[in-house]
Amino acid sequence: MNRNNIFIHLALAFVLVLVAAFAGQLNKWRKQWRPARFVPIEDKKKVASVEEISLSETTRSFGAPEILVKFKSGVSQDAIDRLTAERNDRVEDRIENADGWEAIDDFDNADAATLVKEYQQLPEVEFAEPNYEINLDEAEAGPLEPILPHDPQFNDQWALANSGQRGGKKGADISATRAWARTTGSEEVVVAVLDTGVDYNHEDLTENMWRRPEKMEPYHDNELGTIDDEFGFNAIDGSDPMDDNGHGTHCAGIIGAEGENEIGIAGVNWKVQIMPLKFMNASGSGSTKDAIEAINYVIDRKKAGVNVRIISASWGSTQKSRALGDVIRKAYENDILFVAAAGNSSVNNDRMPHYPSSYDSPNVVSVAALDRHDALASFSNWGAKSVAIAAPGVEILSTWLGNEYEEKSGTSMATPVVSGVAALILAEHPEMSVDDLKKKLLASTDPIAALKGKTITAGRINAAKALE
Amino acid sequence: MTISKENAVENARKDLAKRLKIDAGDVKEKAVEDADFPDMALGASEDDEMSGQMMTRGWRIKLEAQGQTFEYRADKNQVRAYKFKGKNYRV
Repeated sequence: MNRNNIFIHLALAFVLVLVAAFAGQLNKWRKQWRPARFVPIEDKKKVASVEEISLSETTRSFGAPEILVKFKSGVSQDAIDRLTAERNDRVEDRIENADGWEAIDDFDNADAATLVKEYQQLPEVEFAEPNYEINLDEAEAGPLEPILPHDPQFNDQWALANSGQRGGKKGADISATRAWARTTGSEEVVVAVLDTGVDYNHEDLTENMWRRPEKMEPYHDNELGTIDDEFGFNAIDGSDPMDDNGHGTHCAGIIGAEGENEIGIAGVNWKVQIMPLKFMNASGSGSTKDAIEAINYVIDRKKAGVNVRIISASWGSTQKSRALGDVIRKAYENDILFVAAAGNSSVNNDRMPHYPSSYDSPNVVSVAALDRHDALASFSNWGAKSVAIAAPGVEILSTWLGNEYEEKSGTSMATPVVSGVAALILAEHPEMSVDDLKKKLLASTDPIAALKGKTITAGRINAAKALE
Repeated sequence: MTISKENAVENARKDLAKRLKIDAGDVKEKAVEDADFPDMALGASEDDEMSGQMMTRGWRIKLEAQGQTFEYRADKNQVRAYKFKGKNYRV
């Protein structure tokens, strides 16, 4: 190396030292002038799940307290303030619901390991640890970690998080809490609930209900005339799609009861738009013709610009209708997924088809029901060739008429679970085609021994896998 | 309007009498039991009828007339004749 090169290297090293020193000073100034930290709701949600999160020891974010210290009981706040001030530190925050824990910030920009060692040696301190950064980016921090909503009846929603409550099998759920670390849904996604209508005034649903955009023309039906479809569509008589049975409201809640609103339950989607379609009466039954009318409505609204990508159909019969099959295929041609209940007669649909779930249209996803033990529900139809997938469908808690909540069972309840997962996928991948959406659903299962030879996938839908 | 079990049995008796063209007094109540039906049509859907696939709690009503047993199914919303001469009917 010649003399000139040595000088160049020395000069570069000197510049780098200056830059590093200046950056350190900048950081120190910034910390000293930092305003009081505001924790938005989104961050609080993450904090709520910290207990179960395995922390990655990555670099701390600028502005976060350096260490967490638990002082021994009996050490006063004045004493803590004095101890920290003596070290040119300060108490950034007292941690709620964790007695004695303080978040300590250091003005000298010392590294966390040094600070931990320093505080551990104090007789007043019980324990100290670095304030690790929690990073929910899977690439850096491993698999997605659960997010738990604060909806008061969430603990009864075994389908979303089965902790073994009421004797169930721990983990026999759709891994919703891990999926929510990725997305809790999107109000850009519209799911049509083709049913008995929906109680769109239910306090746990009202924020997630679709409304016809003001600029969109009201729907015109050749038979019923022009209909004010502000809240959706009633194929029976063109009137209000308000639910007068409860079944449709239950299905809607499974898909999209508002999450984290501290009311009732959480849907598979915390945010989504539910489009109510009524074709079944107060007893819970309806005609093929009205089902066709309602599907035509969905297609019309899709063409008019509504981003309705999923029809959830928790109903059926053993009678095949060519006309119904044709309109479902028409929905496919308009990029709309059709999720349908496999039926509750404990029969093999390969031999005794159940419609609409058995129609041979590429957008149909037939759904069987599982109980809280990962067993095929005693009532559920199955079919190694005709039933695509299984989802929780026994003792499912969801919304009911009059701001109530009820537990119901049936492939009716399993169907909106899958519709909800499809909506989550679309929240992450809005442009995904209906073909890819169906493929994604069928590739996102946990294998279940009881389903071998019973469904195409032999698995339970897994929402977290669906978002990978 | 919610239908009680007693009302359901009475409606079933009247309906069977009408179908058989006999006096309602000639229809005897054989058994009434609680039952879980596979869907909201109580497992007794009519032709061209779709129903919600939710398990539904109700009553299985067995009536006797003209030496035969006839089954009706009911819940709080409805009464149905089950396979009367091979067909289902909403009452």
